[in-house]
Amino acid sequence: MDTVLWQTLAGTRGGPNRARVLRALDDQPRNANQLAEDLDLAYNTIRHHLEVLEENGVITSSDASYGVIYLPSERAQNHWDTVEQILTQVDD
Amino acid sequence: MSLVLDVARIAAAINIVLLGGLIAIWVQTYREIRAPMTLGSIVFATFLLAENAVALYFYFNAPAGMPPLAVDVMAVLQVLEVVGIAALSYVTWK
Repeated sequence: MDTVLWQTLAGTRGGPNRARVLRALDDQPRNANQLAEDLDLAYNTIRHHLEVLEENGVITSSDASYGVIYLPSERAQNHWDTVEQILTQVDD
Repeated sequence: MSLVLDVARIAAAINIVLLGGLIAIWVQTYREIRAPMTLGSIVFATFLLAENAVALYFYFNAPAGMPPLAVDVMAVLQVLEVVGIAALSYVTWK
């Protein structure tokens, strides 16, 4: 899982933006629309990053009154030191 | 015989292009996030690229009279590498 986190956030083309998505979700669970707005990224781009993050077990989704919201997975929480190492290097 | 050699040449060339793309992505990411994982990937891909460059050079400068079996096996190795590197490129591009 450690390796998966490194690869997903720092070893792929969309890694840095995925790291920003994960940081926003750690700050507060959000839905795709909110993420697009808060991170100033296109909705489709956000959808793609969420898909990759969820496929790789970095985030999980849950149903809320205002659509599907996303939050860091338990596995990501367990390796949060790794995530921190990456997040500290990514600009806002 | 020369067909097999052409296959090996094309495979080596594809590998060089794909690895160049991978290295570019990782270098770009490494500028932002200094992850050991990313640096290790760059080193790995660089040496694999060098291997393919040496292979390609050899495929264009091989002496006449190479044993056909050796040429066949080398071509198989090169094609297997293409599949592996293509898979890595796909997940890295996503």
